[in-house]
Amino acid sequence: MSRQIINLTVNGDRHEIAVAPNQTLLEVLRDELGLSGTKRGCTSGACGVCTVQQEDGRAVLSCLALAVEWDGRAVTTIEGIAEPGQLHPVQAAFLEYGAVQCGFCTPGLIMTAKALLDTDPTPDEAAINEAMAGAICRCTGHIKVKIAIREAVQQALREREPDAAPT
Amino acid sequence: MPRRPDFSAVGHSQPRLDGTDKVTGRSLFTDDVVLPGMLCGRVLRCPLPRARLLNIDTSRAEALPGVKAVVTAQDAAGIWLGINQPLLSPEILNHVGQEVAAVAATDEDTAREALKLIRVDYEPLPELKDMKAALAPGAPLLHAKAKGNIAWEQADDHGDPDAAFAAAHHVRTDHYVTNPTHNCYAEFHVAVADFTRSDKLTVWTPTQSALLFQKSLAAGFKLPDSGVRIMCLNSGGGFTGRTATRPHHFLAALLSRKSGRPVKIRATGDEEFIMCRAGGRVEYRFRSGVDRDGRLKVVDADLLFDTGGYVESQMIVILLTSSYLDALYPVEATRYRGRLVHTNNLPYYFHHGGGLAQFQFAFGQHVNSLALDLGMDPVDFHLLNAVEKGHTTLRGTHYASCGLKECIRKTARQAGWKQKRRRKEPLKGIGIGIGAMASGAKGLFKHDTSAAFIKVGDDGKATLFVGLPDMGQSSHTAMAIIAAEVLGIAPTDITVASGDTDLDPLDVGAFTQRGTFNTGNAVKNASLDARKQIAKTAAAELGVRPSQLKFSHGQITVKNQPDKVMPFAKAVFNTLHSQEGRFVMGRGFYNSPLESGSMAYSFGAQIAEVSVDPDTGVVTVEKVTAAHDVGRAINPRIVEGQIDGQIFSGMSQALFEECVMDDGQVLNPSRLDYKMPRAWEMPEVEHIIVESVDPHGPFGAKEVGEGPIVCTMQAIANAVADAIGEPVTEMPIAPWRVLKILGRRKDVA
Repeated sequence: MSRQIINLTVNGDRHEIAVAPNQTLLEVLRDELGLSGTKRGCTSGACGVCTVQQEDGRAVLSCLALAVEWDGRAVTTIEGIAEPGQLHPVQAAFLEYGAVQCGFCTPGLIMTAKALLDTDPTPDEAAINEAMAGAICRCTGHIKVKIAIREAVQQALREREPDAAPT
Repeated sequence: MPRRPDFSAVGHSQPRLDGTDKVTGRSLFTDDVVLPGMLCGRVLRCPLPRARLLNIDTSRAEALPGVKAVVTAQDAAGIWLGINQPLLSPEILNHVGQEVAAVAATDEDTAREALKLIRVDYEPLPELKDMKAALAPGAPLLHAKAKGNIAWEQADDHGDPDAAFAAAHHVRTDHYVTNPTHNCYAEFHVAVADFTRSDKLTVWTPTQSALLFQKSLAAGFKLPDSGVRIMCLNSGGGFTGRTATRPHHFLAALLSRKSGRPVKIRATGDEEFIMCRAGGRVEYRFRSGVDRDGRLKVVDADLLFDTGGYVESQMIVILLTSSYLDALYPVEATRYRGRLVHTNNLPYYFHHGGGLAQFQFAFGQHVNSLALDLGMDPVDFHLLNAVEKGHTTLRGTHYASCGLKECIRKTARQAGWKQKRRRKEPLKGIGIGIGAMASGAKGLFKHDTSAAFIKVGDDGKATLFVGLPDMGQSSHTAMAIIAAEVLGIAPTDITVASGDTDLDPLDVGAFTQRGTFNTGNAVKNASLDARKQIAKTAAAELGVRPSQLKFSHGQITVKNQPDKVMPFAKAVFNTLHSQEGRFVMGRGFYNSPLESGSMAYSFGAQIAEVSVDPDTGVVTVEKVTAAHDVGRAINPRIVEGQIDGQIFSGMSQALFEECVMDDGQVLNPSRLDYKMPRAWEMPEVEHIIVESVDPHGPFGAKEVGEGPIVCTMQAIANAVADAIGEPVTEMPIAPWRVLKILGRRKDVA
């Protein structure tokens, strides 16, 4: 199958990549660009481990996105959400509150949670549940994942308005 | 929680040491391994439940550009998995998805194309759809040695069950079923094999036991154990699903040897449901007798396990379940019969809970029903009957620590059991489940050894080498905490090195919940050895005896002489930078002194509260209160996380999980169709950690890797029975099964 050149911006870096028509965004990220932080799971949109963010901050399942359709577009992966040596508040909360066990689904869970907070900085329980519904984590049973997300929200509120945030 | 001794590391919540790598996506898993010249391997699978392989023609596949190797039965002669499964069978195929051939090609598309070019002629044979068909008179035999299609059988009496039944005041019999499942760990089955050197096979793979994988592959390829190197970077979950090698490990190696290049085989979506081989269908019959006071006196269990087309290590489930009849209650007698039955379903191994959690779904309901027969509150029944510290079971297991009654009392009080049972609301229910779980079980080998090395650098930081895999349970961080406690430094001062059998000390592996107990004791012993070496230096410099020294908070102090102190790092530095030049290296191992069985058991009790929708039959778990005697919580937040995960998994199996089988085919082989709980379906969870401080455990610790899950399924099942007035005796408690009961019980809704 003949390849097609696409321009894809990943974590701010512009790449010119020759992709096959059946290649997914996930395969381009992992196999062409070596960004292995985005995990390959069910490859059918059922497990959420491959989640990345598109330009408007919304979550995308990269295993279901065809790379040719991403010509001229931009994507953020787990490698691009924090400055070197730093953790994004969602990453820090996952680590601190025990939301990480085997770690295979963790990048996908964090990207899903970050996408939620980028589009809705103060989600209620229902919004968290809805956003996380496409991600399965047998190790943690979602419990500490939800605690970590709530703590990340509280942390952001405290930083924005140090006196106003409920504790 | 009991008052803590003065620990500086043990009992303090420590985020997992590899956590930063995991949250940043830097942790590498097997699918992230890319080797120069690596090929993509794929497997051709049998489409029929039972067939004769008449002819196989691979010539067109071999001629396809980009195909570097094709292997069939003739390449795999002499390689067996378990008792009776040839890696690639030359003649008879016994399950859908059984491996027939494999190819390695330069890319996935070519490999996929090559599979289509292999021509196979099959002759369909009469199949054994289920255990009933397999046990019917005149049924075809799948394996000549398995008479009557019974692959394995164990029957034993302890005490005099006939006399105990004759003397019983009340006897009850129940039947239960649990259905086939899939482990559903996050990382699918995957292996990278490099067999380009004929004397050394290297395999990267997630595993629960590098040792067992090494031994299995070495036996298959007739290499010494040292000729196989298992590399386990990280494992994306285990759940008893990665205890044994699977065909893809061998096939990747065969393809690598034939092509002269490394080969990766990764399960695709629906293939994963064939490669996984979790629990099969089990049918349980329990008959138990109690005396006039409600004391459980005798238990008789008859279990039938569908083991599918082949049997590998499933006899372990028989050993485990048989040892469980007298684990919770001091009965006078037990009778057990367990049989593994061959059918043309997938060769089943284990699901999360190792067969015991599923067994407890049945046994826990049976005991609950017995209590209700007697008009007893199940909590009172458990409190009357439960084992206590100092008890020795009929099978000779001694409980040197036991917090079971404390767990039952605390969980009942916290959940408001009595009040809630009194204030019964329609279609709401509350149920209890209790459990015990061995912390390691000797029996696989003559030893049950875990070993550990620790080296302490002249900067005062240590590297701990263990062969115990961490599939996510944070065992490596727990090991660092134990070493840190002994050396009096911070867990973050310790690097845990693991995952390479060429470097790791021996460890039987992370199953039968042996990690914290066995490897923890090994790490403690290795750390004590290192401490002794450092103490020699410090004692000489401080002018005291080594026994007077105390190691804590990075300092070495003299007991009762607070002015005499030296930094830990300085003592290590001086040990090396001396005339003798002694480098601090500790070594230790632990092996249970028993001939077989376990030195310690964890205990637990969970109370589940559910509501049932009368229109849909959907069960909602509203709250689970979980009390667990873990001996000592090495890392409390991680202990909670273990309990959480098992409540998820127990609830998932109790209510949802089932591989729906038809003609040997999994009808729902995807994570969309194989239901597990979503975030919004999770109940509120309350943890109660009970610390009975086991005299043999490292700092008193026992397992927490499967103790919780054995309580969850039965607690939920008993709560559902409380809500709808009748137990659902088949797992999962799917809506249609609930509706069937509600349909005939108009009184409930």
